[in-house]
Amino acid sequence: MERGKSVETCKCFSEHFSKRHFLSGIDARVKLLVTLALLLMALSYKGIFFPMLVAVCSFTLCVRMGVPMRALLLRMAQPLLLAVVVLVLKCLFTGQDTLFVISLPTSHFPFLMLTGHWDGLMEGIRIASRIIGGVSLVIALGFATPFIEFVAALSWLRVPRPFIEIMMFAYRYLFVFLEDAETIYSAQKNRLGYAGLRKSLNSFGVLTGSLVLRGFEQSQKTADAMTQRGYTGDIPLLKSQPLKAAELAAAFIVVLAGGAVWMI
Amino acid sequence: MKLKNYGIFIFLLTAYCLLLTAGEACAMHISEGILPLNWAALWFAVAIPFVALGMRKLKILSAQDLSIKPLVGLMAAIVFVVSLMPIPVPTAGTCSHPGGTAIPAILLGPSITVLITGVALLIQALFFAHGGLTTWGADVVSMGIMGAFSGIAVFKLIRKFNVSLALSAFFAGLISDWAIYFTTSVELAAGIRGDEPFWPLFTKILIAFIPTQLPLGIVEGAMTAGMVKLLFKRRADLLVKFGVIKAEEAAL
Repeated sequence: MERGKSVETCKCFSEHFSKRHFLSGIDARVKLLVTLALLLMALSYKGIFFPMLVAVCSFTLCVRMGVPMRALLLRMAQPLLLAVVVLVLKCLFTGQDTLFVISLPTSHFPFLMLTGHWDGLMEGIRIASRIIGGVSLVIALGFATPFIEFVAALSWLRVPRPFIEIMMFAYRYLFVFLEDAETIYSAQKNRLGYAGLRKSLNSFGVLTGSLVLRGFEQSQKTADAMTQRGYTGDIPLLKSQPLKAAELAAAFIVVLAGGAVWMI
Repeated sequence: MKLKNYGIFIFLLTAYCLLLTAGEACAMHISEGILPLNWAALWFAVAIPFVALGMRKLKILSAQDLSIKPLVGLMAAIVFVVSLMPIPVPTAGTCSHPGGTAIPAILLGPSITVLITGVALLIQALFFAHGGLTTWGADVVSMGIMGAFSGIAVFKLIRKFNVSLALSAFFAGLISDWAIYFTTSVELAAGIRGDEPFWPLFTKILIAFIPTQLPLGIVEGAMTAGMVKLLFKRRADLLVKFGVIKAEEAAL
């Protein structure tokens, strides 16, 4: 783990970006419902136009929200690589219509011949577009919605309380453990804890073990502190306000427009 | 059509190398949009009962001990951190992420681990684009259910033969990682195959994962063994409390 990586990871959370943007005032439930509706449409679409349109709109929204391009690209890097992998897999290993055959110098070995298929390539492009569309939509939701509002929206959607409570505990201590992991790693690295495979494996085990130990100790302290403040096993959640008619109408129009494009 | 175009050859070779180093991207998480709607729904349907079982177990345990919920939440944070750690994999020349589910499975049991994984995956999907909302079910099945249940089964089985704690934990981590890798390959092949037969594509995906996942399993095994060893050395009482070892073993 590179030094500073965890700090960078923390910065990717919505809270670390500007809270004042044109979507910040909109109810998280509305944002979540619109995202889920568009996601379902993107996934069930048979071509590439709709997912790519969703991707363009989502990126535009992120840029308008003031999300730095670097953060956007960092988040997209992994899904994009996966999209390329799926594209290559589909092109080389599925389909019937031969697009090209590459014979390597030792072509009498059939497994060294690479055959690309036109229909496989098309299917790969379709899946890649679905990945790009779906991921960009979820990224936009992530940047537009602070964690605590997202949790309240999940609660409104009747996601069971224990799940939400665990999510809140996890989120609260995520940053603590990221910092801890970074500190332990740096200390180990400075003492040549990662010089050689055997030492590296051992150091990595100690790092994980130390995190688990801290987790146990911290959970006991947290439970004690919470009990002193009247904790009886349930964490109070944000009370949901009634949905605003204007926001609902706007969401309906967006989903309707998406549906119209999807049908075309 | 035979092409002797070196440009295309280099492109394909690069693409093939990319396939071999695909581990970083798809080591554990299936990205948003990969699975068609029917497969996404199916994996959701498989995952939900297990998550519900985890919540039920949590409810029972937290009625007896108020510190269980914070502990499970903190373990979810640890799984989150561990599964984001980039581990260099020399054979593939890339980095990959461990699953980290064998650790809570040994300490807290498999059903609570499914819940922990579900929480960690939802946060990762929304705020890091690792995994996805529609692929959450598939990711829970591979990382949570398969990872946790295979890990704990191997751990308990090996412990029956009086094998040392560290070695049992090593194999639990190893098998857990490989089970995740196997299940992810099944899910990917089933999801992207279209009208093609399942087995050929599944085999190719499995082979594409090998350079990253086989050594990563060993790293995960070492990580799990290291964690258990450290806990035994410093807080053996915790291992006794969670039923990992007997009180007599801790006293030795």
